[in-house]
Amino acid sequence: MASKLARAGVRQVKPILSVDHGEARQRVLNLYKAWYRQLPYIVMDYDLPKSKEECRAKLREEFMKHHHVQDIRVIDMLVIKGQMELKETVEIWKQKHGLMAYWKDTVEPKPQGFLNKFLDGHE
Amino acid sequence: MAATACRGLFSIAKHASKSVVPRVVGTRLCSTDLHPTIRPVNAVQRQTLTEFGQYVAECLPKYVQKVQITAGNELEVLIAPEGVVPVITFLKDHTNSQFTSLADLCGVDMPSRAYRFEVVYNLLSLRYNSRIRVKTYTDELTPLESITDVFKGANWYEREVWDMFGVFFANHPDLRRILTDYGFEGHPFRKDFPLTGYVECRYDDEVKRVVVEPVELAQEYRKFDLSAPWEQFPNFREQAAAEVPIKEEEK
Repeated sequence: MASKLARAGVRQVKPILSVDHGEARQRVLNLYKAWYRQLPYIVMDYDLPKSKEECRAKLREEFMKHHHVQDIRVIDMLVIKGQMELKETVEIWKQKHGLMAYWKDTVEPKPQGFLNKFLDGHE
Repeated sequence: MAATACRGLFSIAKHASKSVVPRVVGTRLCSTDLHPTIRPVNAVQRQTLTEFGQYVAECLPKYVQKVQITAGNELEVLIAPEGVVPVITFLKDHTNSQFTSLADLCGVDMPSRAYRFEVVYNLLSLRYNSRIRVKTYTDELTPLESITDVFKGANWYEREVWDMFGVFFANHPDLRRILTDYGFEGHPFRKDFPLTGYVECRYDDEVKRVVVEPVELAQEYRKFDLSAPWEQFPNFREQAAAEVPIKEEEK
């Protein structure tokens, strides 16, 4: 009975790319390195008003956004999307504003507290 | 079929007596068995499709889960996701089917199901003047085998399904976005994608470039009722999917 329950809890699924955590981790590191090495060229090609260091910090932030993800298939899917995005960036299919959108420098922070929300017209 | 038969009979009557024309028109208007608004049922075609569906199910018992006929004369074969390539290859290459043309490939999102995406392949047989619809299912993380090796034309269709629904196709030669803008987030045809999208683009005069900002508009809870509220012929909707009995696979 207990074994049956345990089996019901663990579902056999088809892997996307990786079969274990080590392989998934290696793919993530490879993607990170590929982005890292392309950053100087990206800054130059797109004429970004950012330094290499700022871009590296942003790259790290974007990867660390998903540091809690444990599911191998979710990691693989994120790696696939990151790979596609890297290709779009390197081939200059994107535009400058598409890359500057990562910094969100024009987005105003959400109002905190009742009075600020009231003044902003939310409550 | 029935209409042509009637017309044939009328033309015989016309030849028999010269003054029959007005009476024929009157008969056609008053006849009770002709309903111009209801699609006539072609029993011969339906029988052929039923037999062909059973034949496919017998040939591929491992993959075919259900065979049904919808809207009177459309054959649907519901298959397991791992059987996409074998089933499509069989339908394309078998001498009795020869569905050599991929008419369409699209996705459907049904969030209430365990496997929420339905992927639909519409095939056309020019040799037998017949169509077939193959349906399979998947979810956000289960890859589906690409059929670009069988049909070259599936390349862009699969890219579209990937872009709109986020269904991943394994072994696709060039899987990337096709309709959305570069840097677009999310898959717009998913039912949980908000109508306004997640971001808005506008030109900002201060920074002298286009900026992308999150958009927040209140949206009412959307309930997806798949039955059409304007249904006038519920009896025909009930009959829409008639299941064709197939032999169960022997365990």
